Amino acid sequence: MQAILLTLVLAPLFGAVVAGLWRNQVGRSGAHWVTIIGVGISFALSLYVLKLYVVDAQPVYNEAVYTWMVSDGLRFEIGFLIDNLTAMMMAVVTFVSLMVHIYTVGYMHDEDGYERFFSYIALFTFSMLMLVSANNFLQLFFGWEAVGLVSYLLIGFYFKKESAIFANMKAFLVNRVGDFGFILGIAAIAMYFNSLDYVEVFSKAGSLADTQIQIWGDTSWSLMTVICVLLFIGAMGKSAQMPLHIWLPDSMEGPTPISALIHAATMVTAGIFMVSRMSPLFELSETALSFVLIVGATTAFFTGLIGIVQNDIKRVVAYSTLSQLGYMIAALGASAYAAGLFHLMTHAFFKALLFLAAGSVIIGMHHDQDIRNMGGIRKYMKITWITSLLGTLALIGFPFFSGFFSKDAIIEAVGHADRFGSHYAHWLLVAGVFVTALYSFRMYFLVFHGKGPRDEHAKAHLHESPWVITVPLVLLAIPSVFIGWYTIGPMLFGDFFKGVLYVAPQNDVLAQLGEHFHGPLAFVMHGVQGLPFILAMSGLLVAFVLFLLKPKWAFDLRVRFDWLYTILDKKYWMDEIFQTVFAKGSVLLGKVLWKGGDQFLIDGVAVNGSAHSVGVLASAMRRLQNGLINTYAMAMILGLLGLVGWFVFK
Amino acid sequence: MEFDNSQLMTMLPEIVMLTGALLVLLVDLMVRDSDRMWPYALTLGTLLAAFAAAVSVGGGSSEIILGGNYVRDAMGDSLKGALLLIAIPLFIYAREGLRKMDEWRTEYLTLGLFSILGMMIMISANGFIALYLGLELLTLSLYALVAYCRDSSKGAEAAMKYFVLGALASGLLLYGISMIYGATGKIDFPGIMQQIAADNTGDNTIFVFGMVFVVIGIAFKFGAVPFHMWMPDVYQGSSTPVTLLIGSLPKIAAVAIALRVLAGAMESLHQDWYMMLVILAILSMALGNIVAIAQQNIKRMLAYSTISHVGFIFLGILSGTDEGYRAAMFYAVVYALMAVGAFGILIALDRKGVVVDQLHQLKGLNDRHPWLALTMLLIMFSMAGVPPTVGFWAKLFVLEAVVSIDMWWLAVIAVFFSIIGAFYYIRVVKFMYFDKPIDDEPVVVGGAAQTMLAVNGLAVLLFGLFPVLVFGLMKL
Amino acid sequence: MSFEKFIFYIFSLVLIFAATMVITRRNPVHAVLFLVLAFFNAAGLWMLLEAEFLALVLVLVYVGAVMVLFLFVVMMLDVDVAEMRAGFMKNLPVGLLIGAAMIIELLMVVGPKYFGLDKFAAPVKHAADFSNTEALGMLLYTDYLYPFEIAAVILLVAIIAAISLTLRRRPDRKYIDISKQLAAKKADRLRVVKMESEK
Repeated sequence: MQAILLTLVLAPLFGAVVAGLWRNQVGRSGAHWVTIIGVGISFALSLYVLKLYVVDAQPVYNEAVYTWMVSDGLRFEIGFLIDNLTAMMMAVVTFVSLMVHIYTVGYMHDEDGYERFFSYIALFTFSMLMLVSANNFLQLFFGWEAVGLVSYLLIGFYFKKESAIFANMKAFLVNRVGDFGFILGIAAIAMYFNSLDYVEVFSKAGSLADTQIQIWGDTSWSLMTVICVLLFIGAMGKSAQMPLHIWLPDSMEGPTPISALIHAATMVTAGIFMVSRMSPLFELSETALSFVLIVGATTAFFTGLIGIVQNDIKRVVAYSTLSQLGYMIAALGASAYAAGLFHLMTHAFFKALLFLAAGSVIIGMHHDQDIRNMGGIRKYMKITWITSLLGTLALIGFPFFSGFFSKDAIIEAVGHADRFGSHYAHWLLVAGVFVTALYSFRMYFLVFHGKGPRDEHAKAHLHESPWVITVPLVLLAIPSVFIGWYTIGPMLFGDFFKGVLYVAPQNDVLAQLGEHFHGPLAFVMHGVQGLPFILAMSGLLVAFVLFLLKPKWAFDLRVRFDWLYTILDKKYWMDEIFQTVFAKGSVLLGKVLWKGGDQFLIDGVAVNGSAHSVGVLASAMRRLQNGLINTYAMAMILGLLGLVGWFVFK
Repeated sequence: MEFDNSQLMTMLPEIVMLTGALLVLLVDLMVRDSDRMWPYALTLGTLLAAFAAAVSVGGGSSEIILGGNYVRDAMGDSLKGALLLIAIPLFIYAREGLRKMDEWRTEYLTLGLFSILGMMIMISANGFIALYLGLELLTLSLYALVAYCRDSSKGAEAAMKYFVLGALASGLLLYGISMIYGATGKIDFPGIMQQIAADNTGDNTIFVFGMVFVVIGIAFKFGAVPFHMWMPDVYQGSSTPVTLLIGSLPKIAAVAIALRVLAGAMESLHQDWYMMLVILAILSMALGNIVAIAQQNIKRMLAYSTISHVGFIFLGILSGTDEGYRAAMFYAVVYALMAVGAFGILIALDRKGVVVDQLHQLKGLNDRHPWLALTMLLIMFSMAGVPPTVGFWAKLFVLEAVVSIDMWWLAVIAVFFSIIGAFYYIRVVKFMYFDKPIDDEPVVVGGAAQTMLAVNGLAVLLFGLFPVLVFGLMKL
Repeated sequence: MSFEKFIFYIFSLVLIFAATMVITRRNPVHAVLFLVLAFFNAAGLWMLLEAEFLALVLVLVYVGAVMVLFLFVVMMLDVDVAEMRAGFMKNLPVGLLIGAAMIIELLMVVGPKYFGLDKFAAPVKHAADFSNTEALGMLLYTDYLYPFEIAAVILLVAIIAAISLTLRRRPDRKYIDISKQLAAKKADRLRVVKMESEK
């Protein structure tokens, strides 16, 4: 088993190393073959592992592979914890990754840095596998940082583009904020549990549930709340929850395959995965769960609204991703971890599909990403069109499509939850369904229907993408449509996650739902009578009317509600606020400190640790190094005098 | 004195080294090939043989032979082993560099071997005489090597500076030794230790006075502030293959003599010398890290980086605990490994007629030669102390040693300066990975050097993942 | 004052005087000659300590060889004394200050308090036929064999270093390679050209 797991995890790394370091030797085709084979091996083994766990019901595998060091009883280890959750995550990650690898062969065909790109995405796959297979916090953190690093490298892949550099800087900084919370949370765990091993920490969690700690003054805080909130701040950074979501739309500066793999299907779901893994901790803190719920629902609704006014095809999908991540987080906040993970899985397929389809359109349009310039593309790119339609239907939760099951389950679960903020969350999520349908179909209609591309030149060259692009689309469309039907039973209401996720009995909303669950067909029948379905259909209809039948109405509406449009177009001024608060604020703080420091510390040079004064100090010291031997000898003699004076005649 | 031939077996590594060095001299006379394959092969063979000898005679309880001048113990075994092993990549890189400069002569090999012999003598010195002579053997070889490129006026100037300042430091060291000899009447370390411990006058002024001079002699060898000023000039003035030698291995020998003198002979004066080291350590970490930022020349930058690392090595020594001593040994060995790699990369980038020693020449290295860039990245991360490279553990162990004697404030200062220091290491990485190359000439590296560099870089990573592989060998 | 003490003070005074002159003379040749004087006096002091071997070696090696060599170099090179002394006056105050501090610190330790005559037992007088040289030899080749060997290696390195720094084999030098000369054959040097005889 260990050999299988090691191969599974290390095969992509091998590909990445070969493609990265021997890129001049292996060349372009060598680079994509070695990484595709590496990830392919991982995918095959993931399927095997999934079979072992799901079909053969293997016991949980939890072993350390290597102990890095032991310090004060704290073990730093590399190890694997394989259960149904991990097996599912590995299968999803490697499948999407494999699809993206193949797709990339076509998408990046004419780009520089082809080998580098393959090396990075294979490295990403490795990091993600490390993250999901971890059995301890150290390895989790390693994977967490590693995926962040690769994401950072890939957003800035077109490093000659100014905006790409800005975007990757932004992603890096915003994620640092999240990581800061995350590492504080891990530190708190290490401090109070004196262990970094999942199983050990979870087993001790109960005994520490009522611990109170003082952080500031006399106010006591529940230890569990503090830990969970800190960990969740990490998740907010990685899974782009408000207000740390601002990096994700900008990350679309990276190549499209990356948007699909990292910024839609896998990495951004790491936060959801992590919270689910930590369910034994989160269940102990009602406050933290409420926090999670409110953040998730807020993100789901408000970022969806922004999606309506975006014109860049990738940004629309990016905001949709934000919104869907909000749904997953909200499910976690309602203690419906399984629902969140279920949506994670279905979303991974259809969102990767939508992104790759968008990429296919972008290639067709010769890298014009503005949806207002598109239209009628269905005539030219049949496969892209059909698969996009399927993906969009899955996204809005059309009955029988995978998204329907997962999203409906989340809304139901949140509706049943009984916790501070659950009503607020429920209504936002329900309203979000309408918004989702509206922006999804707005994009769909503008891109694929209506009159042909505005630009005649573009129109003339429009044709279907090569097979390396369409095959992944088709392969992703299959699970996007069907997987919900087949897996809702076991995953949500069966015992797929039994023993993996822990839900306190009084919080178990899914069990309540499960009492009324009589197979997927009944679920659909029940669903179509509910408000969400009606909202979704009306969203579709509104989109049809506004953007296909009567575009003038849309324009009138925009003029009428100019203030609303501006708010959405400016994304609630979040970026500006962040830039003002963090960038200008820190400059201001620096000035205050500088002035104050000047007064308090007469020779504030050494203390004022800003880069500038260090530089000044450095060049001053460098001047002492004048190349004259007398000065050097003098320095030695002075040192001697000083030491003798100090120590002999103290 | 009892003289027993079997005693000589104990010092087999030194004997092998000396024989090898002399053979290299002779072989060069006999076999005249322009490529000097024979002397070169013989040099590597000597190092391997000496390593094998060190392994075979090593282990077991410590032995003091040759009239109390030579000691073989666990510390000496570990440091000598590390020294000889790291010397192998050193000579491989040096050959690469010297050939590119058309300066590939046997003198480098001979003098290099003699300097290593000097270091070995220092490591196993059991008294001040052997220590001093070993030191002189080492420095004399190094003076000559600094002036090795005879047509370089910078080299001659650097050699002159090194020589004069080195002579001054030697003088101070000798003065200190004479003080201690005068006060104790002993010249071997165990004897001095007993005499100082037996002293019951309550006034240790003379010991401390002599010790200050000895500490300065050691600090000069390390390059601790304010006895560091020769380093930047010598590093820069020497040709890179020589800097490679000066900047790496002698630190291992220096740590050995520091431990022999301070932790051994002057054990009971710990209260006095640890504060000296605290001062030197803080000054070194502060000055080294800050000034390095302003450097444009990589060799100068690495010189200042060395100064800051010396501060960290002192942290381990000053703790006065066995763990601290082991941490300092580990740090010195790790440092030597990293420094050899860093200078090795500069050598690899050299071309006929082009010497790479400016920071901007590293720009875009990743596009020109990804392997070298990765190796440099690992080494820079390691020097900055980023996990999971071995440099992280080196820093962690010395910090642990300082914390274990409740000197939190010192640990905080050390961390603070290492954060400042991280800046200039990361800047190198930024240059290599995010900037456009200013130079599109292909990088030409010989096969052996290239392989060795890759091994070197991976070793930094491997020992970072498995630090116990090295730390476990650091025994006292 | 015994005669021995009287001699000691004479030697010491002359030694200090000569040493001062070495560093204050403008003319390097004079300075070297004063250094020779200083060595002679130091040798005299060693004689008083019954270290006759060291005293003789000092005279033989330092005065006889090193100093002559030194003088030779000084006279060969055209040293611009004025230039070398240019910074002297400027740096003098600082130098004096540091020197004074150094001397004070040294005196406080290396004074009668720690190194007074009462701190050490007087050395035993040896018989007239006691051989200092033999005693030294006994120690050097037994107890201090190892340092002695290292010193030998250092000398070897010094030779190698000196040669490697100065020996140059310039490619354009027209030196004679005897073996090549001997190996030369007639055919290498002489070419018989057939010419049509003039008619």
